[in-house]
Amino acid sequence: MRSIAQNTPGKVVLLMGNEAIARGALEAGVKVCAGYPGNPSSEIIGSLAEVANELGLHVEWSINEKVALEIAAGASFSGLRSLCAMKQNGLNVASDFLLNLNLTGCKAGLVIVVADDPAGISSSNEEDSRLFAKIGDLPLLEPAHFQEAKEMAREGFSISEALGLPVLIRSVTRVSHARGNVTLGELPHSNPKPAFDLAQPRLAFPPLPNHKVLHEKFKKARTMFETSSFNVYRGPEKPEVTIITSGSGYLYSCEAVFNLNAKERVGILKMGTTWPLPEEFLLKHLRRSDQFLFIEEVDPFLENNVKEVFAQHCMELGVKRFFGKANQMIPDVGELTPEIVTSALQALLAIPYTPGPEAYNRTASEALAEVVPPRALSFCAGCPHRATYWAIKTALALDGREGIVLGDIGCYSLGVGASGFFQMKTLHAMGSGVGLACGLGQLDRFGLDQPVIALCGDSTFYHAAMPALANATYNSANFLLLLLDNSATAMTGFQPHPGTGTTATGSPAPILDLQTLCQSLGAKVEVVDPFDIEGTIAAILKMVRMVKGVKALIFKRECALVSGRRQKKNYQVEIDPERCLGDSCGCNRLCTRVFKCPGLRWDPKKKKAQIDEAICNGCGVCVEICPASAIRREAQ
Amino acid sequence: MSRGLKGLVEKVLSQGLCTSCGACLSLCPYLRSWQGRVVKVHDCSLEDGRCFAYCPRTEFNFDGIEKKGVHQPYQHAEIGSFRRVLMARAKDSTWRERAQSGGTVSALIDFAIRKKVIDAAILTLRDGDSSPKGQIVMDREDILNHAGSSYVSGPTLEALHRGPWEGEEKIGVVGLPCQVQAVSKMRASTLEKKTPIDKIRLMIGLFCTWALEDEPFRDFLKKRIGNWPALKLEITPPPERLLKIHTTGGLYIVPVDEIRPFIRKGCEVCSDMTAELADISAGTVEGIDGWNTVIVRSDQGEKLFKEAEAEGIIESQPLPMEHLNHLKEASLFKKERAVKNFRNIE
Amino acid sequence: MFDLKDPFNVIIGGVGGQGNVLASRILGEILIGQGYVITIGETYGASQRGGSVMSHLRISKKEPFSPLIPQGQCDLLIALEPVEALRILAPYGKPDVLTLLNTRPIHPIDVISGDATYPEVSKVIAKVEQLSLRVWVLNATEIALEMGDPIFSNIVMLGALSTIQVLPVERQAFEEVARDLLPSRSLMENLRAFDRGREMVKEIPSKKVPLA
Ligand SMILES: Cc1cc2nc3c(=O)[nH]c(=O)nc-3n(C[C@H](O)[C@H](O)[C@H](O)COP(=O)(O)OP(=O)(O)OC[C@H]3O[C@@H](n4cnc5c(N)ncnc54)[C@H](O)[C@@H]3O)c2cc1C
Repeated sequence: MRSIAQNTPGKVVLLMGNEAIARGALEAGVKVCAGYPGNPSSEIIGSLAEVANELGLHVEWSINEKVALEIAAGASFSGLRSLCAMKQNGLNVASDFLLNLNLTGCKAGLVIVVADDPAGISSSNEEDSRLFAKIGDLPLLEPAHFQEAKEMAREGFSISEALGLPVLIRSVTRVSHARGNVTLGELPHSNPKPAFDLAQPRLAFPPLPNHKVLHEKFKKARTMFETSSFNVYRGPEKPEVTIITSGSGYLYSCEAVFNLNAKERVGILKMGTTWPLPEEFLLKHLRRSDQFLFIEEVDPFLENNVKEVFAQHCMELGVKRFFGKANQMIPDVGELTPEIVTSALQALLAIPYTPGPEAYNRTASEALAEVVPPRALSFCAGCPHRATYWAIKTALALDGREGIVLGDIGCYSLGVGASGFFQMKTLHAMGSGVGLACGLGQLDRFGLDQPVIALCGDSTFYHAAMPALANATYNSANFLLLLLDNSATAMTGFQPHPGTGTTATGSPAPILDLQTLCQSLGAKVEVVDPFDIEGTIAAILKMVRMVKGVKALIFKRECALVSGRRQKKNYQVEIDPERCLGDSCGCNRLCTRVFKCPGLRWDPKKKKAQIDEAICNGCGVCVEICPASAIRREAQ
Repeated sequence: MSRGLKGLVEKVLSQGLCTSCGACLSLCPYLRSWQGRVVKVHDCSLEDGRCFAYCPRTEFNFDGIEKKGVHQPYQHAEIGSFRRVLMARAKDSTWRERAQSGGTVSALIDFAIRKKVIDAAILTLRDGDSSPKGQIVMDREDILNHAGSSYVSGPTLEALHRGPWEGEEKIGVVGLPCQVQAVSKMRASTLEKKTPIDKIRLMIGLFCTWALEDEPFRDFLKKRIGNWPALKLEITPPPERLLKIHTTGGLYIVPVDEIRPFIRKGCEVCSDMTAELADISAGTVEGIDGWNTVIVRSDQGEKLFKEAEAEGIIESQPLPMEHLNHLKEASLFKKERAVKNFRNIE
Repeated sequence: MFDLKDPFNVIIGGVGGQGNVLASRILGEILIGQGYVITIGETYGASQRGGSVMSHLRISKKEPFSPLIPQGQCDLLIALEPVEALRILAPYGKPDVLTLLNTRPIHPIDVISGDATYPEVSKVIAKVEQLSLRVWVLNATEIALEMGDPIFSNIVMLGALSTIQVLPVERQAFEEVARDLLPSRSLMENLRAFDRGREMVKEIPSKKVPLA
């Protein structure tokens, strides 16, 4: 298998943005890497973990991002270069430490990579984490493409060391999860011996003098960035419009200029160091044009900061027009696309442009509207979560008191929709369902008579729910926690966690048993297999009816994708058309219409359910729900 | 209007009119019962469904129901059509000791099985803590275990659909008036049947003024008698009107008024006190312990009852006139109550 | 030999779980080996769970392009599922787009549930034909199932791609990349899948004039 550790300088390879960042860190001689999985950042630590043993690094999946950052900082304090990676939500978790760390500074290079997920394609929220750089007076780099992702990661360590500050690298989905050509550099051989200098304690307290020092460093960063090669202008000397862009916006901007054939009229100023902004450098480019278009994901970060610089110097610069999110030329939520940039530029330059001939577009959209069914996300065939939600739905219906399921983010968030039978009713940060349950679980004294049910995944439990559970016990909250233990951090690519028995680098690890943990945190605990649907329904009913206290029900069943890697199907599943009741009274297509496993099909001509053998993963759960015993399974 | 699950929810379940007879259960996966409640778990899109068709609380037309067993046009009389009304009891005291009243019902079921009139009967089990439940019963010992009344109504008829049945067996059912009505509706329904309705050869109906809601009543009992298992519940006639609870820990007595809040709303719109569509109906005889009031209605009922008398299984006496009048009064009262309450709902 | 339009834009589209991302990566690796500058935009994460998935490949001799292809600029569509082809062609197609199509449907849950209907595959192919300059078809899933695992259908499609003479994809180059990227225990099966794709793909003879 191909790895990011090949020492072949000059070789051009196809790397994902995240791999390029990881490679850059290797080229900088990183020794310690820690993070918590979260799209679109997961492959940074993932790919480093693959080469950790070979290169003698410490790479770990930490329990959460705050701990991960503390690990990286510990290494840095002791003289080892370190990297910490996370998604935007992760930086929120780590921010408490981050906003102390900026005051103490660091020693060896410390690079924090945060990969944002504009539009929240696989997140609970949309957030622009660049603002943390501003809060913390920290240097911020934004790679625009793969080569730069690698260079910035490498360079980030030197910047960090020169300033004595952690450096933030902010990526986005279309950089992290895109692939492109990367020319490899050299891998260094260095074996620094770590030591913590006791004469140089790292104390955030007292804050005031430290804050002063931080501002000195910040000024130094600004000066440093004046000459950074990550800030590039491309275009004519005096363009009609200058696009000021960073990160993913850069390639879209190039694309738009290319599409509109407007190279002679438009300049592109790509900013790689977006905080602090190099003022002199910017002023030079602000003098070029009278019109500026800001292209960036997601918030108007560059836009506002550049305007601030402009405001300081407006007497000298004269009248300028700025276009971007403030005047709604660019949407202020969601991802950028080539179309968004093209149409903005087209409007500014008054160039007519339509993608493709009218007749074609019409026919194509008609075909789409006429025959193409929607394709909603759903749990995979054989996913334990479908069975879990089926049991939850049934049990809460039987209980009849409108139990409230408080959830959070993970694969199981599909529980908000059809695939999870619309059971999940709140969705926020990791572990928030349990925290919310601590709150709702106090409201019975005010007359709340709905059962309170928290739901979270195994990885989430370690990450953020343990304190909430301890809180529940301490403060006598009343609720039932449903802990979906699929032995994986499934949503982000099956990374191990403290319950799986292996580390990021594949070494065996002690298992922090969920049942024991919940028990020691004060919960009454039971364990069920969600594939035993009736048993699970009975267990939920029993526990949701227990009067007081914190109850935890653990749903233990491995993620179908994980088990599918190890073995093929558990069962060969077949449907007997003679027995299948189809849409007649007594069934009315329970398996297809209601249970909706993608491994099933409905044949509208024969009016029978069928198995799609290309999709069915052989879990056999549909056998249990079929009212006519028409679905049969044979162990493989 | 939907005549499927949607209609059932609208007209019955969400109005609180369900009596938990069990006629709609085990037909499909959409309805389940828990703690004596029938619950819709998933939505069903069918416009016509057996759940709606069989339910005794959806539209009901006594004239329209073909009384396969009774073979008489329905009489709009106080206690329906009948051949004779009498007082009876099981001769063998074993039955009477375990039974609610005179043991007629249990003894007749046992006799019917022995005479091969039926192969099995669907009776209702009330065991301690759990909700009443329909059971398929085939031998004397089991019939004895099922004797006695549960004043909580439960999904007895679920057992009819659930089976398992082997094919040719003949079935008897003992049920409350609503359950007898449901079985009559099943017989009359034109919807495709995959249920063993045609196997039913004997319907013994119990008199019923009302039944209780399972869960709240159980909670009440817990509060009143603690954890003693209740062996037998009895309701004494007016003016006394007491609920006597015989437990392993002694006798507890509660005024009936205290349990009125747990009466099913669905019973208040019921116009049938004497199970008018049964082959034989049985109840207590007010003020005379150890006897049943029995209404023999159909040919089959008459034949079975006669044989049971002839073979010394059942002994009988004429029902005193004042009792008959009182029975009619009570039955009429229930009909009036139903009409009044039904108006309040519509 | 291959004088590719620059940039040449390829979309590989299908349903989560069909191995779309791996196919685009293999294709990218094959082309990078021939000196092309590649950009691949991938949809990841939540869309793995049964949703529509697309990879955009930009192939250039000069510079990296954005990881998303502008609308109306797809030169080659490799569709791993029939209706997904139409879903992609609507925004990204153009009259001279070339389409390579796996004809085996995967029913979305709205179809399984009966809330939506899946069109006749022949109808889908007819629409695809109407919207493409040339169309090649094969039932890659069926072929993969015959081999014992539907997982191979993406490789079957790459095999098919190698014979239609649109991109410089040679068996030799595939084998080299496959050795690098795929688990060695399944290498032989993957090569066989590739070859089966080469054998089975067929062009739909076209009579029409492209939609201008
Ligand atoms: C809810 C209820 C209300 C009643 N109300 C009246 C009334 O108002 N006036 C009156 O005269 N009689 C009433 N009865 C009938 C009475 O309690 C006796 O069941 C009847 O007299 C027959 O007595 P037995 O000794 O022959 O029955 P047993 O030989 O004891 O046999 C009773 C049979 O009834 C079945 N059974 C018990 N509980 C239920 C239930 N909840 N649902 C269905 N089947 C059941 C048992 O399975 C058993 O087979 C009521 C019964 C019930 C269950």
